[in-house]
Amino acid sequence: MIDIAVRIIVYGAVVGGIWALVASGFSLIFGVARILNFAHGIFFILAAYLGIVLAKSGVNPYLATLISILFVGGFAVAIYTGLLARIKEHEVMVIIVTLAIALLVEQILIIIFGEHGISYPALISGVLRIGKTPITYKRILAFVVAVVVLALLELFIHKTRTGKMIMASSQNYEGALLVGINVDRIFIITMFLSAVLAGIGGVLYTQVFAASPAASLKALIFAFAIVILGGLGSIKGSIVAAFIIGYIITITNQFLGAQWAEFAALLVIIAILVFKPTGLFGVEE
Amino acid sequence: MMRKVLILVLLAVLVFGCAQEEKKPEATPTPKPAATETPKPTPTPEKTATPPPFGGKKEVVIGVIGPMALPEGTAEKNAAMLAAKEINAQGGILGLKVRVVVGDTKLKPDEATKEFRRLATEEKADMITGGFSSGIMSAMMEVMAETKTVFLADASSPAHPAMVAKEYDKYKYWFRISQNNGSTFAWDLAEMIDYLRDQGVTVNKVYIIRDEHVWTDAVMKGLTPLLEERNIEIVGDEKVPRGYTEYEQLLLDAQDKGADLIMPILAIAGTGDVLAKQWAELQIPALLAGHDLAAIDAGFYEKTGGAANYYIFLADGGVLVTAPPTEMAAKFVEAYKKEYGHYPESHQAYGAYDAVYIYKMAVEAAYKAGEKNPFDPDVVVKYLEKYKPGNPAKLTRNVAFHKNHALVWGDDYVRNWIAQWQDGKQYIIYPSTVANGQLKLPPWI
Repeated sequence: MIDIAVRIIVYGAVVGGIWALVASGFSLIFGVARILNFAHGIFFILAAYLGIVLAKSGVNPYLATLISILFVGGFAVAIYTGLLARIKEHEVMVIIVTLAIALLVEQILIIIFGEHGISYPALISGVLRIGKTPITYKRILAFVVAVVVLALLELFIHKTRTGKMIMASSQNYEGALLVGINVDRIFIITMFLSAVLAGIGGVLYTQVFAASPAASLKALIFAFAIVILGGLGSIKGSIVAAFIIGYIITITNQFLGAQWAEFAALLVIIAILVFKPTGLFGVEE
Repeated sequence: MMRKVLILVLLAVLVFGCAQEEKKPEATPTPKPAATETPKPTPTPEKTATPPPFGGKKEVVIGVIGPMALPEGTAEKNAAMLAAKEINAQGGILGLKVRVVVGDTKLKPDEATKEFRRLATEEKADMITGGFSSGIMSAMMEVMAETKTVFLADASSPAHPAMVAKEYDKYKYWFRISQNNGSTFAWDLAEMIDYLRDQGVTVNKVYIIRDEHVWTDAVMKGLTPLLEERNIEIVGDEKVPRGYTEYEQLLLDAQDKGADLIMPILAIAGTGDVLAKQWAELQIPALLAGHDLAAIDAGFYEKTGGAANYYIFLADGGVLVTAPPTEMAAKFVEAYKKEYGHYPESHQAYGAYDAVYIYKMAVEAAYKAGEKNPFDPDVVVKYLEKYKPGNPAKLTRNVAFHKNHALVWGDDYVRNWIAQWQDGKQYIIYPSTVANGQLKLPPWI
């Protein structure tokens, strides 16, 4: 029984940590720029594929990872400045454009790599045994990186000048303009951060599992569901909601069976929203 | 208001996401090659100065239909085009050039039926090959019946030949060419266990991980009594949806339950690579042996970063690149590599290649027999049916059809070879008549 408890705690934490990264990025850009970015899952999977390609080309896997994560950040900035900045006032247009980008990139990935999974080159290998429960170092790495990155994000948002400007812009767009904040620049920084968070999540996810074009849709669905559950625009809410989802999936896997895991998670989300439509940490608009 | 819109969008996305789970692959057993059999070269059509009129027919159109973003679809397309190229170099079919047209099912029934209809009516395909996915196959069979198009198909559900048997005149144009009925998987899997036991491996408890799909229900229906006969306990039977990745918990569950063998029955999940990776990383003390369509891909080992080592799988479709069962198969895999730079990416290639050649053979046989229009679908069906038990067409496999147009299963026909990944190479380890390697156990077992 202790082994099962250890399994649930560890596995739920890893899944929750990865999705927390992805959802935080999604929530960040929505909270600050009110951009509902349907291309968010693309940043998640693109970082993984680029890292795989670079590593297989002989680039050191750690350097490949760094390059790929920064690349998706740059790609996101290019999308924002080239397209979204011009239409961000039109929410429906933003949804359509980002969805189109997502579908386009996914199709390109399918053509290049096919639909079957490819493993991310190992950044770490080995197994830690806690009692009878083996835990791969990859999972431990994923959890540690997720926690560190989320902590750094929290520090950045609340302790740095740029972070505070991001917060100010998210709270009151006109007010931020009036006090001299270059809001457009803040939006660009936020877009970069959002994509980097997704990219880190993608690399960690494909370390443990595998990269496939379909994972981008999965990431989008999870990010969307988690953000709604946590409360729109609330990073804290997204993190809490991600761990809730992670543990529901893990517990359901353990006791009810694999086919019920995601179904159970989505059912809980709907149930919570019925009783608290603003999400766990959301506020009435 | 914004929140309501977002929630509506979320629900739409969730529904859309769920809809993506529809894809279904097919499973296939592999034939056993007759070691000494050399496939008869495809009859070469006699070159005639003036091709017979055949109602003014100017070309032979071969349709290929399948999921073109998946290895299964691209392999079918590539193989059919290669066959057409070879046949055209020999003068075509009865002097008519062969043209290949391609339809993409996108693994969706609506797309599949639309594309099948386009190939049959607009492209005027004389024969269509491919399919992949039993659910989609059922939908396409209706269009096939309506358009009376010869369909040399890729699907494994026993439901399809049952349709032929039940309404022969309507569905007689359908023949299974790529692989055996899904139900024959049970025989192959049971033989796999017998073989492992013969090699001294203890197999008393089996943990099954299978597609959450109807095709695996048919396999389980056949497999369960076979395991009971062998006093084997099924300690776990987990169904996983398409795209499932959390295998570690299942593997640990199998370990907890004392499983000697973890048996995947996967085609649609599409994540056999993740299963192999997590099994190898955790070094679960149970063999990983079963059917996983992804494992047949010659690039599977590399995609798993070597984690596929020691993975025992069924070489679905009757051919393994490293141990081709017939002379024609050996030539085909090398020709394929020369043409496309790599070996066939899925077993569907053999079926599609054979489909073009067996169609040619049937048409030419009909012509020699004096049929007025050897391309008439009803005539072609009659001559395809001549390839039956005792009289197989010797192609990349020995192809013969039952009365219900299912592919004949057996060591001398088409069946799944029991194979294993060893140090980056695929080896057939059973039966001995075709084996080119021996079982190797993981060092942690």
